[in-house]
Amino acid sequence: MSEKKKYQFHELYLKKEWSYQTGAVLLALFSLALVIVTGKSWGVTGPLGMWGGWILSKLGIAVDTWAGFKATPVASYDIWKDLPALTNIGIVVGALLAVLLAAQFKIKKLKSIKNLWAAILGGLLMGIGARISLGCNIGAFFTALPAFSLHGWIFWISIFSGAAVGSKLLVKYFM
Amino acid sequence: MAEKTLDCLGEACPVPLVKTQKAMESMAVGDVLIVNIDHSCAMKNIPDWARSVGHVVEIEEVAEGEWNIIIQKMK
Repeated sequence: MSEKKKYQFHELYLKKEWSYQTGAVLLALFSLALVIVTGKSWGVTGPLGMWGGWILSKLGIAVDTWAGFKATPVASYDIWKDLPALTNIGIVVGALLAVLLAAQFKIKKLKSIKNLWAAILGGLLMGIGARISLGCNIGAFFTALPAFSLHGWIFWISIFSGAAVGSKLLVKYFM
Repeated sequence: MAEKTLDCLGEACPVPLVKTQKAMESMAVGDVLIVNIDHSCAMKNIPDWARSVGHVVEIEEVAEGEWNIIIQKMK
């Protein structure tokens, strides 16, 4: 018996990538389940902003005097009561589990210093952009659509046009 | 029949796909391109693209989280 036959379940469900259709249906179902279970709209960068503020406050910086932390002060922040933050941790743990189950875990080497700078700058720009617009593709899209919110569709059109321009720039200047 | 290797280890989408498309342009019909990748999305979008334009594609798992995509140019 070949290895593939022997571990058919593993091969089919844990290793082989699922189709886009399967992924879409599951995402829609889980997105709905998340709202039902937590009763909150999930956003990724909101909690990330709080974590950043928490780290800065531990370094002795008085972030609670900043306008951005007026509504939700870092001093009274409790991660165990922040359901979207726990969802964030869950998604990282889940992704790690999935890649380990598929036996595809690998720590990637840094290809070049250029890639390092691109990652740092890209991350900074994404972070700033996501906080200014009050949401990333989760808060402004994934959470918005099942709530029938118009802003999700506007975001969808904007992110596609942005990505189209971005990929052209990437091909032209980065490769 | 020439064989060429394209190192895309450590590169994220869409870089491996764009590099593959560029590399295929300069190759002759019958030539084989081996693309080294360690980004799982590239394992989907490179074969999807190559098959859609009619090339023959094979994926080989070389290590945990590392693959070779072998593409033979058909036209």
